[in-house]
Amino acid sequence: MRRALLPFLLIAACSKGPEADLQYISQARSLTAEWALVNEQAERGHLTAAYVDTMHQDLRQQLQSTAASLTNPRSAYGRQIQAVLREPDDAPPHELRAYASKLKQIEDSLESA
Amino acid sequence: MNPLELTLGIMTAVGGFVDISQLVFSGQAGSKFGYVLISAFAISTIGIMVFSEMCGRVAAVAHQPVFSLMRHRLGLKLGLFTLIFSFLSTLITCAAEIGGLGMILNHLTGAPYAVMCIASTLVLMASMWVLPFKWIERTYGLLGLFMVVFVVAVVAIHPPWPKVIGGFVPQVPQGLSTKEMLSFSYFVVAILSAVMFPYEAYFYSSGGIEEGWGAKDLLTNRVTSIVGMGLGTLLSIAIVALAAQLFAPANVAPQIPGSVALQAAIPFGKPGLLLALLGMLFAVAGAAVETCMANAYSVSQFFGWEWGRHSKPWDAPRFTIAWIAVMLVALLIVLTGVEVMSLVEYSIVFSIVVLPLSYFPLMLLANDKSYMGQYANKWLAKGLGWLFFGFVTIAAIAAIPLYLLTSGG
Amino acid sequence: MDPFGHLKIVSQLLDVPIIDKDERSCGIVDDIELGGSAGKEMRVEALLVGPGAYKGRMPKWMYWLVRKIAGNRMVRVPAKAVVEIGSVVKLNVCGEDLGLHQAEDKAAGWIPRWGAM
Repeated sequence: MRRALLPFLLIAACSKGPEADLQYISQARSLTAEWALVNEQAERGHLTAAYVDTMHQDLRQQLQSTAASLTNPRSAYGRQIQAVLREPDDAPPHELRAYASKLKQIEDSLESA
Repeated sequence: MNPLELTLGIMTAVGGFVDISQLVFSGQAGSKFGYVLISAFAISTIGIMVFSEMCGRVAAVAHQPVFSLMRHRLGLKLGLFTLIFSFLSTLITCAAEIGGLGMILNHLTGAPYAVMCIASTLVLMASMWVLPFKWIERTYGLLGLFMVVFVVAVVAIHPPWPKVIGGFVPQVPQGLSTKEMLSFSYFVVAILSAVMFPYEAYFYSSGGIEEGWGAKDLLTNRVTSIVGMGLGTLLSIAIVALAAQLFAPANVAPQIPGSVALQAAIPFGKPGLLLALLGMLFAVAGAAVETCMANAYSVSQFFGWEWGRHSKPWDAPRFTIAWIAVMLVALLIVLTGVEVMSLVEYSIVFSIVVLPLSYFPLMLLANDKSYMGQYANKWLAKGLGWLFFGFVTIAAIAAIPLYLLTSGG
Repeated sequence: MDPFGHLKIVSQLLDVPIIDKDERSCGIVDDIELGGSAGKEMRVEALLVGPGAYKGRMPKWMYWLVRKIAGNRMVRVPAKAVVEIGSVVKLNVCGEDLGLHQAEDKAAGWIPRWGAM
């Protein structure tokens, strides 16, 4: 019985962890960077209030969905994404970019692994 | 050839060229791969020029739209198979456009997304009811010209022009990992699908019949197909270049369609943002109308019903019921909560799989001298047509594996 | 002149749109009724229009689905009503006289007659 289950256990093991989460890390990185860009342009007075508010809602919603899709939410990248979600809507762009850079580093190291 | 009519036709084709799929993939293509995927847009545009010109020519000479002739060529069973799959792919595309409309209106007004989806659907349906065909096409096409703000934005940000022009040359970026190579391939397939959507052929050929095209309009058809679509693709290419210049350095690969409007906000501030959102709104609205009508055309032509908006809605009742039903079902799909980006991905993959079945009978018809007489395909149209048929067939086979391997790029 | 004469039934007649003398669409040639017998001339007796005509042209399971969705109505268009065969089949009578517009007329009852330019 255990031998029959082994292939399925192996497949299950492969579908968890950083490899499986790479697409979500990439999405979270981009969403965080988009958020930073929105806030930067909002600070410069380039955006309407309606656009800023609705983009904040959409970005946060997408980030929450991405975080919920992680197979390993307690990982370093999972904690980074949760940290981003704790930021207020009008978080300083440089802080958001710092999170995006960290996620990019994790993404790059996983891709090269 | 009436110069005013021709100019309006070209401008309509330009403003009506871009839809939500192209907005999404242009932004992502530029941010992920820089300028190199400009060539994918350029080459795909040649493909849609070739097939649109053929569709218009078949409609003008045979006085029959592509789907009627397709059933005759493919027979009942294969024709029904093509109808069902193209209907489903176009329905999903229509849903993506409606979702995109809701999203853009949400960004413009702050009103809730679902309410904006419902409101915009009702407005679209009202416009399709009240306006005759020519004015439906012209209204959305001409208002879509607000998208030109993206072209102006590219000039304003002073991109590296040698790289932009170099992007027109087909190439594969150096040093890509296997994963990145698969993603690049998926983007090539997705761009081909987004530019050469089957609904465009059905709508264009049916539109030719609606406007009463004959042999005298063949030059108009050719100029509109080539110039209109050629200029239209510059809008998508502008978004690619803007994404390469503005998004890529900022690690942004737009996950939300509304992010594309930032490309005009960065150089021009609020006026740029508003023009971009308005351009996107009308381009996507036009695409929603086209996909809806393309489905109603396909079903009506396949079963031999009265069809068309050149007559009043009550003179073609089953056609009218068909487009109303398509719009409402597309709206229902959106209201189930499925994300716009997911709908875009599904419509891209579904459509590319159907594309060879859509274009194969068109090639046979346009080559057939018994239908087309002296207007049958000459060597250039024949050669290019079969070449692009080969491309779409390869893309159709590769689409689903690439989608699964790359999780949609 | 006999519009049928010598013609290729599949490539020239089957699945061709039909229009009546008022230029109204009347469906598609869904099947053909042939007359004649062994050793004698074969002639087209009638065109068959409607989902009921699909029966001989698709597998049983497919026709079952078609019947569930669209019914099995079929109209017989006698050959003498056909005046021309080309990219469309043209009739010399009104489609209504042959019962070809029943579904369209039924659908028209649902469409309000106002508001359109």
